[in-house]
Amino acid sequence: MGKLTNAVYEIHVLDEMAERDTGINQVHPLVKLIVTVVYITCAVSFDKYNLLGLLPFLIYPLILFELAGISIKSCIKKLKVVLPLVCFIGLFNPVFDHTPLFKIGNIIITGGIISMVTLIMKGTYALMASFLLVATTGIEKICYALKLLHLPSIIVTQILLTYRYITVLLSEANAVFQAYSLRAPRENGVKYKIWGSLIGQLLFRSMDRAGNLYDSMLLRGFQGEFYYARSQKGSGSDYVYLFSWLGIFIALRLINITGYLKVFF
Amino acid sequence: MIKMIQHFIECRNISFSYEKFSQVKFSYENGKEVLKDVSFKTDGKEAVGIIGANGVGKSTLLRILVGLELNFTGEVLVEQIPVTKKSLPEIRSKIGYLFQDSDNQLFNQTVYNDVAFGPRNYGLEEEEVEKRVMKALGTMGITHLRDKQIYKMSGGEKKMASIATILAMEPDIILLDEPSIALDPKNRRALINTLNSLDYVKLIASHDLDMILETCDRVILLAEGRIIREGITELILRDKELLEAYGLELPLCLRGYQGRKR
Amino acid sequence: MHMADALIAPAVAGTMYAACAAAATYSVKKVRLENDMKKIPVMGVMSAFVFATQMINFSIPGTGSSGHLCGGLLLSILLGPYAGFLSMISVLVIQCLLFADGGLLALGSNIWNMAFYGCFVGYLLIYRPMVKKSMKPGRIILACVLGSIISLQLGAFSVTLETLISGITALSFGQFLMLMQPIHLAIGTLEGLITAAVVIFVNNTRPELLENYTAKNRVGFKQTLVVLSAVAVLIGGGLSLVASSNPDGLEWSIQKMTGNTEVAPESEFTGAVKAAEGIQEKTAVLPDYAFTDSDSVLGTSISGILGSALVAFICIGCAVLFKFFKKRDNSGGKL
Repeated sequence: MGKLTNAVYEIHVLDEMAERDTGINQVHPLVKLIVTVVYITCAVSFDKYNLLGLLPFLIYPLILFELAGISIKSCIKKLKVVLPLVCFIGLFNPVFDHTPLFKIGNIIITGGIISMVTLIMKGTYALMASFLLVATTGIEKICYALKLLHLPSIIVTQILLTYRYITVLLSEANAVFQAYSLRAPRENGVKYKIWGSLIGQLLFRSMDRAGNLYDSMLLRGFQGEFYYARSQKGSGSDYVYLFSWLGIFIALRLINITGYLKVFF
Repeated sequence: MIKMIQHFIECRNISFSYEKFSQVKFSYENGKEVLKDVSFKTDGKEAVGIIGANGVGKSTLLRILVGLELNFTGEVLVEQIPVTKKSLPEIRSKIGYLFQDSDNQLFNQTVYNDVAFGPRNYGLEEEEVEKRVMKALGTMGITHLRDKQIYKMSGGEKKMASIATILAMEPDIILLDEPSIALDPKNRRALINTLNSLDYVKLIASHDLDMILETCDRVILLAEGRIIREGITELILRDKELLEAYGLELPLCLRGYQGRKR
Repeated sequence: MHMADALIAPAVAGTMYAACAAAATYSVKKVRLENDMKKIPVMGVMSAFVFATQMINFSIPGTGSSGHLCGGLLLSILLGPYAGFLSMISVLVIQCLLFADGGLLALGSNIWNMAFYGCFVGYLLIYRPMVKKSMKPGRIILACVLGSIISLQLGAFSVTLETLISGITALSFGQFLMLMQPIHLAIGTLEGLITAAVVIFVNNTRPELLENYTAKNRVGFKQTLVVLSAVAVLIGGGLSLVASSNPDGLEWSIQKMTGNTEVAPESEFTGAVKAAEGIQEKTAVLPDYAFTDSDSVLGTSISGILGSALVAFICIGCAVLFKFFKKRDNSGGKL
């Protein structure tokens, strides 16, 4: 099934990006995580009519895409996951919100239209920022950052194990599903009569795998602790990266740059 | 090895059956006796093949040796230490176990982290860990895979990495469960060469008899939980009648090409 | 049902993160107390399992369409609520990071809406008490469907509240509710049926997998109380916030619910939008917000547009400059 193989492919692509050796990839993962979260928070916190305040925030993803050497196109595909819901909710705004804000010629621009646009922009910004974080850092290092933030090790371990076994189980699920659909060519999905046995078999195999996995851990001295990523110390340039972005975000959030620029007209 | 150990592994009259509802392994033979009165020992640093049809208890025997199954009757000695719940940490530091499915052996993201998992659990300093990892990777000839993501590796690479995870624990004995399964001819050849170059006590459970022929000094033939025959590899693997009586066939290389039968 | 970052205000996101952190801390404590090391690999593999099964389509009998599984209830049934909750967290984190399902900021609310309700309400308060006495197929189906529906309804309701409090939609409370709840009734039923099918299968073939977490452990009164009050505080708090910021909407929906046909008084429009008036009259239930200071929020005329064009131009200019300098450095190929 397309969905399953596609998911594996997407993981591959992201990993390949994260493994490269650009300057951004080398920035400390915690720094990148903080910058991303602050960026999204600042961008999302704008008022729903504040289109102009939101615009300058485009600068962060644009610069990062360049620095990381990743084409924006690879991220655009992911928009189709996020935008449907955002658009769905956003589309109601023009219908219900008729607050007139300004006129272009004879056309009156209502608050609903502006708030719809800002909503979509916020969605796109947030997506680009998260995408950039993952594509330049990779899951393993993000987990390291989470560990530095004192997330309980059991959760970090879960995330790592899940990530490791997603590809294994996706291909198992794919095999099961393909074997099924070859023999049930007219079905759109799995028929209800075998919901239980199909998923159940997959479940048993996963459980047995988990059992073997546990054995394999035990045989290598597992005592409940997981050790992973080697520690990475923050360097001077990490701090420069962190504080310059935070400075820019806060400035853009507090100062109405577009307002100043308007003076020129 | 400084001290001289004659019998690295010694089994005395082992019998074993899975519990009725065991969480670990599921089979329709729950409750049935899997091993019956099995006794054998290894003689010095030899490689022993354990052969037999599917489901005769080959894997179970290996699992018992590393203490993954403890409620057996009889006695298992590993380097003269009896396998009991208490002695497990010591036993396991001496034995490495290679799982059939490499994906179960390799549960970390990268090769380095996986090979380092064992040494780290034994509390070694990070420097020593790195030394051990690099040594193990070097022995297996896969230093270049050090930082590779595991899910991107081929079956052959995964198998080599799995063996490296065992070597990094610096065991005396390695147990291999169907090591050549699902490998292509080239990778299988590489595996055989590597196995022959490893200077450990080896127990290899398999029905790839050609591989056994090329890697083992001695063979134990199991059927229905019992040892049927034990002896020099060449003798047993040439015995056509014996092999066919217990669901096996002569190794391909001893069969000669007889053309395709229609 | 994944919330997106754009739909949530930072304050709401923070609150939901805090709520999840509390639930997660408690769950970690509980799982550690069990002191069962085997749970660690089992949880990890089961998360991956749920992830994989989410991608399988299930055809819905009688319709041409298909749906899929979400998994919170199933994970709890197999692992217990605490380990199930932690496993769901890792599913959601991976979905968020790798597949852009949900967002970093909205992660807290997604965990709450999808994992908390499924594990602690759907399983702990509904499923487990219901199958305590017997594991007959009919009972399993009832328990699973009821558990799924209620947890999904709560989840959908929370999405509504979170979005409204965040103030990003012009929809009224009632309208949003009408959009969210019915569809999640359908999703919940399907989820429940799939879960039940799997549980029945497991119960018939390898019942020992279910044994540990259904029969022996009782749900304590204290646990019930804690879960219920957590739900009450968050939903009640959310409702009152929505009500205070949006009183007409709530009034409207209450009128609707109580069967009162009298619709809230039609507002006097601020004029202008004649084309849309037809739809407006049918659908509008709220008087339009009067943003007296809309002038200061956004420019009144063409200069506003020009201003933004200039900003966009500068941004793109910066990017082009970066590209230019990078090319001169000759580093890195594009992916």
